[in-house]
Amino acid sequence: MELKTEVLQLDSATAEARIKRFIMDYVEKSEATGVVLNISGGVDSCTIAALSSLALGGSKVLGIFLPEEEAHNADDAKHTKMVAEKFGFDLEIIDISSVLKVCYHSLPIFEEQDKISKGNLKARMRMVFLYYYANRLNRIVCGSSDKSETMIGYFTKWGDVAADISPLMDLYKTQVRQLALYIGVPPEIAKKPSTPRLWPGQLAEQELGIKYETLDLILFGLERFMTPKEIAEQLKLPVTGVEEIRKRWLATEHKRRGPLTAKLAYRTVGADFRIPYTTQ
Amino acid sequence: MLRKINIAVAQINCKVGHKKHNIDLMKKHAKKAREKGADLLVFPELSLTGYLTRDLTYNLAEKIPGPSVNSLEQVAGKENLHIVFGMLEHSEKARGVIYNAAVLLGPRGLIGKYRKSQLPTHSVFEEKRYFRPGYQLPVFETDIGRVGLTICYDIFFPEISRLLRLKGAQLIICISASPAVRRKFFEVFTTARAMENTVFLAYTNLVGIEDGLQFWGGSRIIAPSGHIIAQAKYDEEDLVTGEVDYSELKRIETFVPTLRDLRPEFFDSLKTHTEDL
Repeated sequence: MELKTEVLQLDSATAEARIKRFIMDYVEKSEATGVVLNISGGVDSCTIAALSSLALGGSKVLGIFLPEEEAHNADDAKHTKMVAEKFGFDLEIIDISSVLKVCYHSLPIFEEQDKISKGNLKARMRMVFLYYYANRLNRIVCGSSDKSETMIGYFTKWGDVAADISPLMDLYKTQVRQLALYIGVPPEIAKKPSTPRLWPGQLAEQELGIKYETLDLILFGLERFMTPKEIAEQLKLPVTGVEEIRKRWLATEHKRRGPLTAKLAYRTVGADFRIPYTTQ
Repeated sequence: MLRKINIAVAQINCKVGHKKHNIDLMKKHAKKAREKGADLLVFPELSLTGYLTRDLTYNLAEKIPGPSVNSLEQVAGKENLHIVFGMLEHSEKARGVIYNAAVLLGPRGLIGKYRKSQLPTHSVFEEKRYFRPGYQLPVFETDIGRVGLTICYDIFFPEISRLLRLKGAQLIICISASPAVRRKFFEVFTTARAMENTVFLAYTNLVGIEDGLQFWGGSRIIAPSGHIIAQAKYDEEDLVTGEVDYSELKRIETFVPTLRDLRPEFFDSLKTHTEDL
């Protein structure tokens, strides 16, 4: 198999149709009144908000923008409003700075300099707000995680990944960008550099030390059982770099599953219970 | 036996685990098929229960004959139809032994059953976890012709359709639950099996979504020439009918004499090499 950009070329029309059908079907089977989602102004959340709106109609989609003062970026608010207006869904803006400060003060072991723990708290706080709205409005939470970030574990456990459905999770970041452009998400959003916005100036590619175009090809190769050596040779990369990505992928499995338990009984949750999602 | 028959293929959106709902859906389609003049109506794989029943399998399986077969026998009788549908069957001898089965009913009741031979257990499929494979490939002599039944992944194995043809099948039915990522395989294989064996083939697939798997529909009736006699829509419920004229078989068998040209010695070699893969 040859690893080149073409392998990530998306059939956007089919992807759009299938994702919209998936969202409609799940909302209907859940007997929910619609979806709530965290909209951050980034490509993933803007794309899933737009797709949800195209699938369900704007009145059944509530985008919640949850900025906080430390990592605030004016473009995010502008882009969020732009997409909400274009695709006609409802938008709620809630500044979570004050509630975060309460948390910081309430945590006896809070450490300002530990930006990972602090950043994860922000992502989890957004999840708390989302699920409150979902409960109150009888809606499901629609996640925006993509395959690139999910595979390498570049997300907050029980935070930004927490959702009832994640319709983009089988598309790599570069494919989400293609789909975004296809459905009419403005190019300045579709092409803007990704960031989890957990601390000021945080940029995904800078933090990961790799461009998504390259990362996605590496992950595509790993998905198809290629060895790091084969991938590195084709992409003309040091094999240690590819091995590092592979290690990161395998080491973060705990973030993608429910909690592991000790097998003690006849049938065990998370191990050998296999119940269909769609049972009503 | 009828020389010409009218076949209806119905792709339905089943509710997982809800037999009553699915039987009602089948009744509705049986009425529609009858109105369209069908002699035979074919439903998808596991249409009685939905495909991804996972651990519910053990409680949903029934004997054949059993309560659900009895209900659908009444439908076949009332509408004067032959019906093929898919269901979970448990063994009479061991309750935990489950088969993925296709059932053939006639207007006068149960004609026979087929147990899926090839159980996909890869990617999203976990059939060997739940099912025992079938070991018989029956061909049924009926008022609507000599009929062989296959289920989904069976179509990937040309020897199954070939054997049914060699046992005299004029019509091969393939019922399936194929997700969208496999569409190309089924479109090619169903046509190939009809053409290479000079046989009519009726294919039907589920529609709807189960556990994120989207079934693509696309049910079709294929002539031995490869001509698509009837083609259902993609991705949504549909019922289409098409006429099959068995007298065409003689002409096509002569024009494309694959059966005449079969070489038994290759099959011996195939067996040896398969054992040694």
